[in-house]
Amino acid sequence: MEFFSLLSPEFFLLAGLGCLVGIIFGAIPGMTATMAVAVCLPLTYTLDLQEGLALLLGLYVGGISGGMVPAVLLNIPGTPSSITTTFDGHPMAQKGEAERALKVCIVASLFGGLGSAVVLFLFAPVLADFAIKFSYIEKFLIIFFALTVIASLSKNILAGIFSGLLGVLISLIGAYDTIRGGNGEYRLMADFMVPYLETGFSLLPVLIGLFGLAAIFEEAEKGLKSDTENGRVKLKRGEHFSFSVFKGQLTNLLRSTGIGTFVGMLPGIGGSAASVLAYSQQKNLSKNASQMGKGAPEGLVASESANNALTGGALIPLLSLGIPGDSTTAVLIGAFTLQGLQVGPLFIGEHLDTWYAMMTALVFANLVMFAVMFFAIRHIAKVVMVPKHILYPIIIMMCVVGAYAINYGIMFDVWTLLIFGLLGWLASKIGIEVAPLVIGFILGPSAEIYFVKSLESYGTYSIFFTKSPIAIFLWVLIIASIIFSIMMHRKKRHQSELEAN
Amino acid sequence: MQCSVFTMSQLVSSQSMSSWLDVKIDFDQSHLFFPHIIIGLLIMMAVLIMALEGRRFMSRLKLGDVSFSLFQPGADKMRFFGTLILIVVYFWSMDAVGQLFPNMGMGFLLTSIPFILMMSLLYVHKFNRRKLLSIVLNAVIAPLVVWYVLGQWFAITLP
Amino acid sequence: MKKLISGVRVALCALCVAAPAYSFADDSPIQGNIRIVIGSSSTGGDTYQATSLIADALSEKLEANFKVDAVGVSAAYRALDRVRNGRTFMVFHDQSYLGNLYGQRGYDDIFEKYTVGQTFAINPGNAYLVSKDSPYQSMQDVIDAAGHGENIRVAIQPGGVSEIGYTAMKNAVRMQYPGQENNLQALNTGSQSSKNQAMFDGLADVINGSVQANEQYTRLPADDQKAMRFLWITAPAKTLEQANESGMGKTSRAQLLNYAEPNVNVAMSDQQNFSFDKEFFFIYNKQMDPKVVAAMDQALSEIFADGQVQEKMKQSFFIPNFRKAAESREHLMQKRDQYREIIDAIKQ
Repeated sequence: MEFFSLLSPEFFLLAGLGCLVGIIFGAIPGMTATMAVAVCLPLTYTLDLQEGLALLLGLYVGGISGGMVPAVLLNIPGTPSSITTTFDGHPMAQKGEAERALKVCIVASLFGGLGSAVVLFLFAPVLADFAIKFSYIEKFLIIFFALTVIASLSKNILAGIFSGLLGVLISLIGAYDTIRGGNGEYRLMADFMVPYLETGFSLLPVLIGLFGLAAIFEEAEKGLKSDTENGRVKLKRGEHFSFSVFKGQLTNLLRSTGIGTFVGMLPGIGGSAASVLAYSQQKNLSKNASQMGKGAPEGLVASESANNALTGGALIPLLSLGIPGDSTTAVLIGAFTLQGLQVGPLFIGEHLDTWYAMMTALVFANLVMFAVMFFAIRHIAKVVMVPKHILYPIIIMMCVVGAYAINYGIMFDVWTLLIFGLLGWLASKIGIEVAPLVIGFILGPSAEIYFVKSLESYGTYSIFFTKSPIAIFLWVLIIASIIFSIMMHRKKRHQSELEAN
Repeated sequence: MQCSVFTMSQLVSSQSMSSWLDVKIDFDQSHLFFPHIIIGLLIMMAVLIMALEGRRFMSRLKLGDVSFSLFQPGADKMRFFGTLILIVVYFWSMDAVGQLFPNMGMGFLLTSIPFILMMSLLYVHKFNRRKLLSIVLNAVIAPLVVWYVLGQWFAITLP
Repeated sequence: MKKLISGVRVALCALCVAAPAYSFADDSPIQGNIRIVIGSSSTGGDTYQATSLIADALSEKLEANFKVDAVGVSAAYRALDRVRNGRTFMVFHDQSYLGNLYGQRGYDDIFEKYTVGQTFAINPGNAYLVSKDSPYQSMQDVIDAAGHGENIRVAIQPGGVSEIGYTAMKNAVRMQYPGQENNLQALNTGSQSSKNQAMFDGLADVINGSVQANEQYTRLPADDQKAMRFLWITAPAKTLEQANESGMGKTSRAQLLNYAEPNVNVAMSDQQNFSFDKEFFFIYNKQMDPKVVAAMDQALSEIFADGQVQEKMKQSFFIPNFRKAAESREHLMQKRDQYREIIDAIKQ
């Protein structure tokens, strides 16, 4: 077969190198997988198609995986899809289990990455045909389903829902974008804000502001006392990593990988929804739900296997419909067009060699990711030992680079960092919960477009219940999810009352 | 730009009722439909929170459990406001300096060095010679490496 | 310690000296690092691709460093407003004035507010499609059906390039069947994927698309629910003829020509058929030194005289289309005035 002749040593070298660079990009707070791919896109000009794709797929896998590092060590999601990794990862790091947490993430990532690659390889065209059965209505219901996670995530359910709605509202500021199907009119802002907020607040600066800068403000307010000798995080205090953590986690791994692949596959849902959904389902179904959010490895397993499963999932519509499944694959499409090749429903059949080469690169990049991270993580985890007076200024600087670069050089994105840094610092004092706020912010624009378009097209609210069997199935999931989270809050209140007595 | 300010009456007019589930959305006004729903829900939640938690909050307020002070007791205001001021100056000057050297990332490089230096000096406890050395080295090397690797190698746009 | 500080000082001084030194190397008005902002925020789209091609050629020709930043419409105009020193240019396409004609927010009159510069490429791919089992075999079928009172829904992204063909269709219905033009209705969606989806969901009868994005869909077997058929490519034959003979994907140039004017006629006026070329061109800050525009005229003339960039463009299904700034401005204003007429005609 001709395809084997494409697999030169350079091919593997580039996939491996891409993965390494991707990990570094993902691991720097503020830099993302999308950015890594975008930055290296012009390099593929000089390479041939297969080698270029090997490099970019390596970057993609590495970038998504690298996001776990700052999430666990610094409580800043390295990429938007690793938000849920912070929920359990950082508490573990504070207990001195940073290395263990990261290793759990790495194994889960490998599982998710390879699992979704298998699904991609075996079922891409079939799943693409399934994906187009999801119209505005089903997509809205999926977003709604993901939003129910807010109920189970929040400490106080009322405050949580309020925060989530506030996040949605903030995400709607600016123009109702025509690219998403809106009418381009402005809302929720005064005239003087128009030059800055025409396209609204960007996700990445909001995210690193709320998580990164806000944490620095909090520390500054406390006077950085943790920097003194006895306050510093010890690395080797907690439990060590062993594969026995994964005992009983097989369903979690499979479910989260499945959710990640599936969400990646639906264009327009947005990658970050994958880990959010996987995390909330684990929380709803777990026996130790009350431990999640306080440093439970199963939360990491759900989050990381789902966000790596996204890679394979997002490639499904790209390669079998010509439509990118997430923001990174939207950049990836450029690599094909730069080589004068179009992706579409006939792509796989007409370019079998490229298809096999891509699969090889994807699998290889996942293995490199595992090898590099599993053995290097002990050294990477030492970041927490760096004194804060050195670390914090560097984090701020990197957040600035990331915020400025995400939209290719917009100064307002840097100011967004500060605005949301202060908001995040303020939030905890006035009872607003940051995690629900962020999830609302991420899912808000999709929720709007699919909700409004559904009603615009069908003219009745009843369509959400009558459109298709898929819609009814989604309603069952939504209702189950709400009931689970209400039960959980009841149980929690009951427990705390018992303890109080 | 009358549309940037929203009015609740538009929400009502967009729902001419023939059946209670029917809804007609005028595309030209569709940008207000969802925001109005969200604002409505937010107000509902606020009322609900006040009704359910308001009394408990008031009684805690009387007991002095809660205060309206923004800062926690014993807050290090020097470091907090120092951080805030440094960041504002940093962001502002970065853009201004960047204008002097167009498209070279100099705004970033030339302001990051003093920023990191000042931040470190602000944050450091128990100042000594060895710490000073590490702070100065870090302040010079870190921005240079970032500027060189990301700005020059990877051609990432910097201020 | 002393050594270290002096070392740092030396390094800093060297940097300060080196930085301006390398930007004022010789007296050409275009040198150093030039930023090209584009009116699209996607690096996978045609604007980025066309601009990268021309930016690479310019970097080589002028020994400068051109970099393309996909900042999107509003941020691109902001960047252009701010920088008048000739270090930031913008590249955009017909959307820039169509957005203004359709009254989209954020679109000022570019001919008034900025200096419109050189055109350099055409994307001839803008197209309208129907599903393979659609009863409409040609554009005329669509126009006739609308004329006879059938409701026809066309999926577009409102307010620009995607809408102009729809406006032309509506105008053609108005001319042939006065008063019936409102039977043609716009279904306002956004990205290509949502336009396709609108067809799969049965919400749209005709969708706006492109040769590049939809060509493979037109080659699917008829029993595939995703299968589509081209009805109309808005670029005229005289543009498409310049494409490589192999066309796009496995659809040859000859096949594509079947869907373009004059083989497909959508009337714009009694004498003229409608056609639309999506042209990419430079936009400059109005206060910028005119020498820069002249230097760009010169550089681009030389690049197009060399002939290599044309080959690269054609490989990526772009049609080379160079006009010097003055000529280009004239051409685009004329084009704008033409389209203004049909947009106004529909409004009444």
